[in-house]
Amino acid sequence: MTRFGDHLATGVLILLLLAAWEVAGQLKLVADGTLPPLSAILLRLAAEWREYWPHVAATLYTASLGFLIGNAVALAAAVSFCLWPVAERIFRGVNIAAFTVPPIAIAPVLVIALDGETARITLAALLVYFPTMTAAMAGLRSADPRAVDLIRAYGGGPLRTLWLLRLRAALPAILSGFQVAAPAAVLGAVLAEFGSGARWGLGTFLLGSLGRAEPDRLWGIGLTATAIAGLGYALSATLAARTTSLNRAVNIGVTGPEPETANEAPLRRALLLAAAILMPLLIWQGMLFWADLSPIIAKTPMGVIDYLITGKTAASAQTRLLAALAETVPITIAGMLLGLGFAFALALLSFAAPLLMRALLPFALVTQTMPLVALTPLAVLIFGRGITVTLVITISVTFFAAFVVLAQGFAMIPKAAFDLVDAYGASTLRKLRLIAIPASRQWLFVAARLALPKALLGVMIAEWLATGKGLGNLLNQSRGYLDYGMIWTVAVVSILLSVLLYQLTPVLEWVGRSDRRDK
Amino acid sequence: MPLMTNRRRFLQLMGTGAAAGAMPGFVSRAHAATPLTMQAAWINDAEFAGYFAAIDDGFYKNEGLDVTYLSGGPDVIPESSIIAGKADLALTTPDTTIKTIVDQGAPFKIIGAQYQKNPIGIVSLAKTPINSPEELKGKTLAVPPVNVISVEALLAINGIDRSEVNIVPYAYDPTPLLKGEIDASLDFTTNVPFTIEQSGEKAVSFLLYDFGYKTYNDTVVVTEEVLKTKRAELVAWLKASRAGWDANFADTTAYPPKFASTWFAGTGRTIENEVFFNGAQKPLMEHAGGIFTMDAEGIDANIETLGRIGIKATPDMFDTSLLEEIKG
Amino acid sequence: MQGLPLQFTNVSKAFSIKGKALPVIDNLSLDCPAGSFTALLGPSGCGKSTLLRLALALENEDSGSLRIGGDSPRSICRSGAVGVAFQDAALLPWRSVEDNIRLPFEVLGRKRPDPEKINGLIELVGLKGFEKARPGELSGGMRQRVAIARALATEPRVLLMDEPFGALDLILRRQMNLELQRIWSAKRPTTLLITHGIDEAVYLADRVIVLSPRPARVLADIPVSFSRPRGAELLRDPAFHHVCDRIAALLDPETSAASAAAEAATLDAAPVDAPAKAGTIA
Repeated sequence: MTRFGDHLATGVLILLLLAAWEVAGQLKLVADGTLPPLSAILLRLAAEWREYWPHVAATLYTASLGFLIGNAVALAAAVSFCLWPVAERIFRGVNIAAFTVPPIAIAPVLVIALDGETARITLAALLVYFPTMTAAMAGLRSADPRAVDLIRAYGGGPLRTLWLLRLRAALPAILSGFQVAAPAAVLGAVLAEFGSGARWGLGTFLLGSLGRAEPDRLWGIGLTATAIAGLGYALSATLAARTTSLNRAVNIGVTGPEPETANEAPLRRALLLAAAILMPLLIWQGMLFWADLSPIIAKTPMGVIDYLITGKTAASAQTRLLAALAETVPITIAGMLLGLGFAFALALLSFAAPLLMRALLPFALVTQTMPLVALTPLAVLIFGRGITVTLVITISVTFFAAFVVLAQGFAMIPKAAFDLVDAYGASTLRKLRLIAIPASRQWLFVAARLALPKALLGVMIAEWLATGKGLGNLLNQSRGYLDYGMIWTVAVVSILLSVLLYQLTPVLEWVGRSDRRDK
Repeated sequence: MPLMTNRRRFLQLMGTGAAAGAMPGFVSRAHAATPLTMQAAWINDAEFAGYFAAIDDGFYKNEGLDVTYLSGGPDVIPESSIIAGKADLALTTPDTTIKTIVDQGAPFKIIGAQYQKNPIGIVSLAKTPINSPEELKGKTLAVPPVNVISVEALLAINGIDRSEVNIVPYAYDPTPLLKGEIDASLDFTTNVPFTIEQSGEKAVSFLLYDFGYKTYNDTVVVTEEVLKTKRAELVAWLKASRAGWDANFADTTAYPPKFASTWFAGTGRTIENEVFFNGAQKPLMEHAGGIFTMDAEGIDANIETLGRIGIKATPDMFDTSLLEEIKG
Repeated sequence: MQGLPLQFTNVSKAFSIKGKALPVIDNLSLDCPAGSFTALLGPSGCGKSTLLRLALALENEDSGSLRIGGDSPRSICRSGAVGVAFQDAALLPWRSVEDNIRLPFEVLGRKRPDPEKINGLIELVGLKGFEKARPGELSGGMRQRVAIARALATEPRVLLMDEPFGALDLILRRQMNLELQRIWSAKRPTTLLITHGIDEAVYLADRVIVLSPRPARVLADIPVSFSRPRGAELLRDPAFHHVCDRIAALLDPETSAASAAAEAATLDAAPVDAPAKAGTIA
C-alpha cells in the first residue's frame, strides 16, 4: 500500500472509532450517559474556550518547564551513568525512589516545602525524569559494540565514544523516552495544580468543575490536557521515526542489555548495594535539613522508624499499615502482570496490524493524560467498586510506558532478520514468533521495569478514588489528619515495595536467559 | 519560600541571628500596612466570600493590614501552612486541628469559628430520600476519606453499627449519586444540592450537626508563636473579616457577582452556584455575638462531640480573648 | 611514511568465563618487522582476533609484552599510526560513506581531511558515486570496501585487518586483494592480516603464521618469497599451490600434529622468535 493509502486507512479507522463514541454517547449506551457524545464535548469546549485559555497557558507553562528540566536532568544522569557505571549503581536507589514515590504522597509535602509554582514544576519534572533516564541509558548502552571497538582502536576514550557514537545511537531510545515523558509532564502538572491551591491550570479548573456533575466539561478539560500531551508525543514520535529508520542496524546485532557484574568481588558489590540504599536516605535527610520544616511535617528516616517501630505510635501504625498492605499487595501483583501483558499485546498488534494500532494510539494516549479523578464516575459506574475497577485503573496506569518501549523495540529489529524469514515466505505470525518476540526480549525487561512499579501507584489511585481500601485510602486519610508520620511511612513503604518489584525484573531476565541457553 | 527559611537557618548558623525573627514577606501589596497571610481551606468559592469582600472593600487596609490570601485545595493541608510559616493563620476543620494538638503536640490555638454549625451533611435524591442517620442502614454512602471519622462518629452517636452502612470514597463529583450508583454522599449542604437541582433532580439533606455531631467548621487557627508576636494584627483581622462577612450577608446575592471576574474567575463554577452557597451558609454562620463567636456552649459541644470519636479536646485549645477585644 | 615494527613477546591471555579461567593465548611470540606483511591463519576460535584486539589495546595482555615501534599499543593507537578493518564493516548507519571514512580523523581529534583525499579513497575502493549513500543503502561487499577505505584513511604505519574480505564474493575478493597489495606496496605499512583464505594469505603475505587451536601458539611460520608485484597469474602457479597445500595440511586437524612436526624438521624457515631471518625473507 502507498504511504498516502496508509494514512487514509488510519484516518478512516479513527473516524469510525470516533463515530462509535458519538453513537454510544448520543444513545447513552455507556453507564447511563456518563460517557458524553464527542460532539457535546467539543461544542461545549468551543463555547467555553475563553474560560479555558488562561488554564491552558498555565498548564502548558508548568508542563513545558517540567518537561525541559526533567529531561535535562535525566539526560545528564544517563550520560554520567554511562560514563561512570559505578555512579549508576550508587544512584540506583535514588532513581527507583524518584520513579516509585507516589505523586499523591509527595504532593502535600512538595506544596509545603516549595512555593506553589516550584512545587508544581518539580512534580512534573519528577514524573518526566525516570522514563527518559531509563530509555536514554538503554539507548546509550545499545550502541553497536563493534563500532565502539573501532573508536577505541583509534584511541577514542569514553567521551569521544559518547559524542561520536553513543549519543547518536541512543537518539531513537531517548525520543521514545520523550514520548512517555510528554504525557507524564502534563499529568504531573495537572496533578500538581489539582491539589496545590493554584489559581490557574487545567487541574484547578477540573477540581472546580468536578462538583457540577457535568461530564462534558470534565471530558473537555481531559481532552484539552490530552491535546497538549499529544502534541509533545507526536513531536517526539515524528523525530523518533525519522531517526530510527537510519539507526536500524544493517547487520543482526549482538548487543547485550547491561554490563555484567558476575566477576565482581563480593565486598565491592556489597558496598555498592549499601551505597544504593543509603543514598536516598542521605538525600532525604539532607533536603529536610535544608528545607528547615517543623518535625510535625518533615519526618526524617529516624522519625519514620520512631513512628513505625519504636515510638508510642508504633502499635497503631503497624496495625493500620499491615491491614492496608494485605489489601493492596495481592492486587498489585495481579495488576502488574495484566498491565505488562496488555502492553505486550498492544505492541504485537502494532507490529501485526500497524494501521489499526496507529488508529488506536490517540485513544491510548487519552488514558494517560485524562486525569483519573475525572474518569472515576465513569469507571465506578461501569466496573463497580470492587477488584475489577482496581485492575482496570492499574492496567491503564501501567501499560502505556511499557507499550512505547516494546513498540520501539520491535521497530529496532534489524531488517536483515525479517528479510531472512520473508525469503522463506513466513507469515506475520511466524515472523512474530521467530524474530520479533525473541529480539524484543531485552526491551521487554526495560518495559517491565517501567511498568512494575507503576502498578502499585495504579492500585493506590484506585483505592483512593474508588474502593476506599488499602494503602491508597490510608494515605488519603492520613493527609486529612495531618498524620505526616503515616504519610511518610506510606511513601517509604510504597517505594520499598516497588523496589522489590523492580528487583524482580533481573530475576525474570536471568530466567529468560537460562531458558534461551537450554535450547 | 524555602529560600527564605533556608536563609534563616543559614543566617542562624552563621551566628548573625539578625533575620531569625523575620517572617518571610510575600508579595506585599503596598504602603506601610502590616503584612498578614491567611491560608484558606479550599478553592475560591462562596465559603470565603466574606474575606474577599473585606479585601476588595478595604476593611483590612483600614485596620492597617496588608492581607495575602492563599487558596486551598485537596493537597493543601491548612495547618501545614502555618506550621511551615507560609501563613499566619489558617481556616481548618476543628477535628483535624485538635487531633493534631492532642496526638502530636502541635502548638495551635483556635481563635475563632467561621461556621457555628458545620455545613457537612448527608445529601440524597428526593426520590430516594435519606432524612436521618437511621435511614442510612443498608445504604451506600460516599464520603471523602478525610471525613470518614465524622460519619463514624455520627453513626456511633445515633446507635447505628458501622457495618450497616457501606462507606465508599467520594471524589467531589455528584455524578454517581445522580446515576444511583450510590445512595447518598457527604458534602457541604451549602453546595451540592444546587448542582443536583441543576441536573433536574431534587435533593434532600440533613446536617450531621442536627444529629448530634456538633462541631464548628473553618475554625481560625494560629500557632502560639504568631499569637504571641502578632496578636494585634490577628485582632484586626478578626474585626475586618467580621465586617466583610456582615457586608456580604446584608444581601447574599450582592457580592458573588462582583467577584465573577476576580476571585471567582476560572474556578469552573457558576456564579448562581455561589449565590446559592452564600444564601445557604448564612444561617450556619450567624451568631448573636457576631461572626466567629465561640461561646461556652459551642465550645463544650465541640469538646463533647470530639470526645465521642476519641479526640480529647480541652477548653484551653480555644482562645476567645481576641474576640473579646473586638467588642471593646 | 615508514612502517613500524610489531612485536609480541611471550604474550598470554585468558578470559574468565563464570569464574573459570579459559586460556586463549599461551606464551606467544611473534615479530613483524617494519614494512612486513604477515598473515595469520588458524582454526576458528583459536584466538586470532584476540591477538588483534591486544594490538589495538582493546584488551590487555595478562603477561608478556606487546610493542609497536617500541611503544605501547595504546599510545601508538592514540597517535593515529594504526589503521583497522574488522570482520564486520562496523559503519555508523546514520553517516554517509564519506562521513564514515572521515570518522577516524574525528576520533583522533585531527582537522577535517581534504575532501579530495576522501574522494580518492572512495575511488580506490570502487565506490565512486556512492559518496553520499548511507550504509543501509549499500550491499555487504560495498560496506566492507568502505571499511577498508576507512582503515587506509589515516595513512597508517601499521595496518591491522580481521578478515576484511570475509563478506565479499570470490571475484571481488581477488580484486580487493590486488588493490590491497598495490596500496601496501606504495606505503609499506606493517600489516597483520587475519584470514580464513589460505590462498589469500599466501597471495598477499611475506609470511604466513599458522596458529594452533585454542590456546593460540605458533604452529608454523612459513615464509612466502614470491616476487612482487604479484599478478593474477601467480594464482595458477604450481609453486603457489604447493605452499597452499602445505598450509592446508597443517590446518587439517587429522594431519596437523604429524605435519607440524615434519614442518619443524624440514622447513628452513627460522624459529618464530628470530626476527633477523624472517626479515631477510621480506
